[in-house]
Amino acid sequence: MSPVLGDLFGFRPASDAAATAVEDTMYRALGVLRFVVLLNAIGLYLLNHDGFPHAQVGAAVLVVMSLWTAVAVWAYDVARRRGVLLLAIDLAVSLGALLLTPYVKGPGWESTLPGFWVMGAVLAWAIHYRWLGGLVAAVLVNGTDLLIRPDITRTTYGNVFLLLLGGPIVGFLSALLQQMSVERDRAERAAAAAAERQRLSRVVHDGVLQVLALVQRRGTELGGEAAELGKLAGEQEVALRTFVQHDTHARLDLGGERDLGEELSRLETASVSIALPGEPFPVPAAVALEVADIVGACLSNVRHHVGADAPAWVLLEDLGATWTVSVRDDGPGIPEGRLEDAVRDGRLGVAQSIQGRVADLGGTSELVTGPGLGTEWDFTFPKASQ
Amino acid sequence: MPDKTGIRVMVVDDHPMWRESVARDLEEAGMNVVATAANGTEALARFPAARPDVVVLDLQIPGPNGVEVTAEVIRQNPAARVLILSASGEQRDVLDAVKAGATGYLIKSASRQELLDALLRVAEGDTVFTPGLAGLVLGEYRRLMEAPAGPDSPDAPQLTERETEVLRLVAKGLSYKQIAERLVLSHRTVQNHVQNTLRKLQLHNRVQLVRYAIEQGLDDEV
Repeated sequence: MSPVLGDLFGFRPASDAAATAVEDTMYRALGVLRFVVLLNAIGLYLLNHDGFPHAQVGAAVLVVMSLWTAVAVWAYDVARRRGVLLLAIDLAVSLGALLLTPYVKGPGWESTLPGFWVMGAVLAWAIHYRWLGGLVAAVLVNGTDLLIRPDITRTTYGNVFLLLLGGPIVGFLSALLQQMSVERDRAERAAAAAAERQRLSRVVHDGVLQVLALVQRRGTELGGEAAELGKLAGEQEVALRTFVQHDTHARLDLGGERDLGEELSRLETASVSIALPGEPFPVPAAVALEVADIVGACLSNVRHHVGADAPAWVLLEDLGATWTVSVRDDGPGIPEGRLEDAVRDGRLGVAQSIQGRVADLGGTSELVTGPGLGTEWDFTFPKASQ
Repeated sequence: MPDKTGIRVMVVDDHPMWRESVARDLEEAGMNVVATAANGTEALARFPAARPDVVVLDLQIPGPNGVEVTAEVIRQNPAARVLILSASGEQRDVLDAVKAGATGYLIKSASRQELLDALLRVAEGDTVFTPGLAGLVLGEYRRLMEAPAGPDSPDAPQLTERETEVLRLVAKGLSYKQIAERLVLSHRTVQNHVQNTLRKLQLHNRVQLVRYAIEQGLDDEV
């Protein structure tokens, strides 16, 4: 049995503050119910006590029931008093009142002296000891009722049946409510802890970023080995900044989708700038990965043809019905006709393969290039095709 | 090139090494560092007396934060310029600072020369964008345009076609000079277009704040 179900079906009283609060509320509601059924028992007794052989004993029983009702409502109100002793006495008083019924009423009676009042003890057991407690108390009360009864009518059977069902059901609901309350409490605490952890990590990350940026700056100025250190610090600075920018976004449950901005931002380096719209841009996961991969191929082209540290810029722009990803560099550009030459010669150039992959995703590519213009790819995708 | 010695600068950064390093760089370049501050409270306390032309501001400082400091500095002296120098470049914060009136943004990994250039340009009234910031601003206009036109936003600002074009080229990493060449415009015109994109956002932001204040009944107390 899973721990969750184990909790639900177990016999264990509440141990958690949230669960105890649920019990508090339930016992308060039960307190009201106890008074209602007590008044009912007293009213019925006043109407019918004329023919009873021991009416004075009956009145004494009702006085004890009234006193016990008051004591029980007081006692159950505080968690620490809700022990075995209280619950045992509660049940014993009910059973005692039941057992005195034949003596008070003589032969040929129909309803017991406490009547519905016995449900107070049964439900108290159900709330505290859950469904098993409710069942045990209901069996004891109903067993006693049936033992002392001269004859069993259809109504008696109905009452017995209802109480036998009611005890365990209330017990189960009590467990369920307690468990839900505990879980909500736990979730709230986890959320608060996560928020605090995030706040702290922002502070720590910011401090680290400051130092890395400073090392990079000073190192570059000092030159030599320090410049090498500065370069390393710069690379880490970019990596951490990318992580921070995306980690502090509220992570959305995107289902089968991914934030394209986040995928693209992984490509950021000291020389590659990624410009994003500032909000998550969810697209189907496969599209996000493929587009990021295509952009990666373009950037690798830049490193290959322009220079290992050549600057490049990536822009993701939402255009309403479409969206565009641009990749640009300031390199020498692709000479006119070279792409066509490559196709004619049966060589599928890198550029050609990029265009093909974009077309496979339902997008179009536009290439602006030429001597002195650098190389600029614009990939446009319709939103509908997603 | 304007006289660098005339520029009064305040450096606000909670990281002492950074604060001193930036201040030293600026002074070596002949600028007048009139004040430094380690947090928002100090910055706002020293701003009126120091009367800087440019505030070089880290966004992540102990409260009031960089965005609040920007808004208050611009409110006290609309002629003052704010250059954001941020380590983490948190997108939302940068955009908020720009909407509050900052006209320049650099990440801290920028070189000393880039910082000096940016500071001079901001002091002259120019705007200093990174491609990343241009992307954010494009995204913000898109969001304003697509937001359902309710009573809150009857007059969402819009970019002209030319402004969008210019901003997009900034986001793609082109310098103002390259943009001017490509669009056959003067350098000054490109600058004006870029400035306009920010000015409209800032204006919209102020209108929103005033409207919010009126709705909340804050104007009754004045």
